[in-house]
Amino acid sequence: MLKYLTNRVVTAFVMVLLATLVIFLIANTAPGDPALAQLGDLAASNPEFVKAFRTKWGLDLPLWERYWIFLKGVAHGDFGISIMSQRPVLDDIRDFAPATIELATVAFLLSVIVGIPLGILAAVKRDSWIDHVARFVSLIGVSAPTFWLAFVMLAVFYGWLEIAPGPGRVDPIAFLPPKVTGLLLIDCVLAGDWETLRDAAAHLVLPATVLAAATLGLITRTTRASMLESLAQDYVRVARAKGLPEWRIVLGHALRNALIPVVTLGGLAYASLLTGAVMTETVFSWPGLGRYTFRSAVAVDFPAIMAITFIVAVVYIAINFLVDMSYAFLDPRAVKR
Amino acid sequence: MSRRYRTPGTTSRREFIVGVGALGVAGLAPFPGIVQAQGRKNALLIGLDIGDSITFDPARLAQYSSPMTVHNAYDTLVTMAPGDYINLKPGLATSWEYRPDGKAIRFKIRQGAKFASGNAVTVDDVKWSIERVMNLKDQPAQYIAHVDKVEIVSPDTVDIVMKDPTQPLLTILAAPSFSILDSKFMMTQGATAAADAKEADKATAWLNSNSAGSAPWTFTAWERNQQIQLARNANYRGEKPGYERIVIRHMSESAAQLLALKRGDIDIAFNLIPEQIATLRGDPQIEIIGTPSLDFIYMAVSANAEANPALAKKANRHAIGAAIDYDGIINSLIGGSAVRPVSFLPVGVNGSTAELTKQIGFQQDLAKAKKLLADAGNPEGFSFELTYSNNAIAGVSYQNLAQKLQGDLARVGIKANLNPIDQVNLRTLFTQGKLQAVLTFWNPPAVENQLWASATVNRVAKRVHWTPPDEMMKVVDAASAERDLAKAAVLWRKYQEGMVDAANLFVLIQPTYQIAVRKSVAGFKPTAAGWMAELGATKPV
Repeated sequence: MLKYLTNRVVTAFVMVLLATLVIFLIANTAPGDPALAQLGDLAASNPEFVKAFRTKWGLDLPLWERYWIFLKGVAHGDFGISIMSQRPVLDDIRDFAPATIELATVAFLLSVIVGIPLGILAAVKRDSWIDHVARFVSLIGVSAPTFWLAFVMLAVFYGWLEIAPGPGRVDPIAFLPPKVTGLLLIDCVLAGDWETLRDAAAHLVLPATVLAAATLGLITRTTRASMLESLAQDYVRVARAKGLPEWRIVLGHALRNALIPVVTLGGLAYASLLTGAVMTETVFSWPGLGRYTFRSAVAVDFPAIMAITFIVAVVYIAINFLVDMSYAFLDPRAVKR
Repeated sequence: MSRRYRTPGTTSRREFIVGVGALGVAGLAPFPGIVQAQGRKNALLIGLDIGDSITFDPARLAQYSSPMTVHNAYDTLVTMAPGDYINLKPGLATSWEYRPDGKAIRFKIRQGAKFASGNAVTVDDVKWSIERVMNLKDQPAQYIAHVDKVEIVSPDTVDIVMKDPTQPLLTILAAPSFSILDSKFMMTQGATAAADAKEADKATAWLNSNSAGSAPWTFTAWERNQQIQLARNANYRGEKPGYERIVIRHMSESAAQLLALKRGDIDIAFNLIPEQIATLRGDPQIEIIGTPSLDFIYMAVSANAEANPALAKKANRHAIGAAIDYDGIINSLIGGSAVRPVSFLPVGVNGSTAELTKQIGFQQDLAKAKKLLADAGNPEGFSFELTYSNNAIAGVSYQNLAQKLQGDLARVGIKANLNPIDQVNLRTLFTQGKLQAVLTFWNPPAVENQLWASATVNRVAKRVHWTPPDEMMKVVDAASAERDLAKAAVLWRKYQEGMVDAANLFVLIQPTYQIAVRKSVAGFKPTAAGWMAELGATKPV
């Protein structure tokens, strides 16, 4: 087990290094010049200004040296200063990450809580109306473009039916609770501010539903397929022959084995929700990491791009690791092998 | 209605959330908020894309959306009234005049004005604020690089002495970067205007969420990509605004702004596109306020023979100028809400009118275009590469504009090959002079003719491989130094004629920005001077 863990950590370390190196090289091949992205026209045409800018941000150093500086910084927990916002990248990420974590987590819970039971029901009651409903829901979820779905939801529930609040995390004139975790729901509870808690929760409904749609579809389909496979196994037949109640066969015998691919998918889905909410964040004016990532990429903001790459790589690897660990629980054979 | 997004008789949000179900927050379903409804009446809510904001330190301003906040929180020495970008208005200076030797401008400073802290506005604050801009050496410092020093003459008089008095200064001082700050207070926040300010000044972080000015509003909060807040300045000398606070909400999507405006969740929407504006006409609760901007979209065509020999011939560039359907562009792409200047001086500044464009600007004339092509030895036309970014300005996407130009030029045999690229790459390649033709946008940091004109004969000229004749340079210098507006206008006309003759820059669209405002708001005055709007006289009705 120890050897297994050590192996995993070493691989993870190499993977993160590789990811940052690849992104660093790709970002540097584009002709876009960060100095021109940031400076006004007059400043950008003044060689002294451009030179000072390059020196300030280390853009005049050779590539390998810049990468080395990045690595040294990371070792000290310092990701440098964002060219775009002109303050430490970690401060930016600390500001924007909680909004995304909150949104992605609610969306993930929503897709798991709805998706897994729906998938189980669809498998158990195969070809019944509930199977058709599940198929329809997952088809819409997987195939509707996020951008489109976001607008339709906003137009229908906010603009037309007037039952959901509009874009943003809270009402424009709400007073925010003191910032502790940055997760509004939790901060509101800590501050005992129930009014804003309700407001923040209501503001989460639409974007979380939109964001959950695709994941929900995938989880439902995978659960169904996996359950169907499990239900056809010999041990299920044996359980039935023993006369066990059907719910124990489904939940106890079939589900536990059927969950392995779902957990894998769920882990990856959560990681992608955390890192890929650009569209949803844009439409819902959500002050999150997705939007920040997009803007950093457009502005060729190297320190921000590198920090985000690093964090995304770590998030994926960490979640993968947790997923692998959960196999041990779901299928003890995974560890022995 | 206790809460704007809930109308009696429709499903409540509790039902909605339960309906959506399984969210796990159903138990937290919201109820109407009485406190917030109260607050909403006292707050002016603005929807605006503030994603570009980096700083609100006046001495470091270089972005597009942040000047509105800075201008409404600080006064400058002189200012411009919305709609008049030729004659300056008093700000903290009540009068000003050039000294007899012409090397300095003498300002009489308003007496009795107070900063938000209660400190009186003094000549020391004026000197300190201008010197801080000079010594911080950030981007705004370049626009007053010709200022030598600021001298206090008496307790109500200040001289700004220039190294090069032919360079314009007054109009530049109207820009928010040259705001007058409460120096006594700012020094307690780590600010300094001393020669070492570039390293020693530590006040930018404070200025990024506070202000120390004398205008009707004080800036109280900035949450990145979320919102900006302003509160009424209790010490303002004039009539106070009718709202207690302003909340500028970051909304990067125009469709979201439209929905929020219709629902009353915001009072003013800045970034609607022409199609969305059209849906609002006839809405009894919403007024569309059009304000002619001083920004424009233009096509720059390079004369670099190595890149494209055909474009290097002036007659061929004139053929492009005669083939473009200017009116069609304005009517079809922006619904007619735009004007077109002769060249790089927008309509509305001294010496540039829409009338003048009819007299000396490019006009569509296909027969003339074909003749010009024949004269240049390209009777069958030629092809060139037109580069643009995937952005949109005032709802006009460069893509659509490029396609329209492609169609127009094809009618005389000129083939434009479209090359969409990323904005930053475009700027890099254009600045390096590597593009044959490019569609891009211009908005100056201050309303000053010289800033437009000197850009064309210096920086932009290099990008399009044009060497302006000496006479052109002399006209620009003379016009910039001329202090008599009427005489200057004559010289600016000469400059524009020279620009048309060179045929490197084709200004296509100077948009009229359309701002949608709920009729519950009075006193909102948009401006093209660079800070978007005057918010000091706003009040609920």
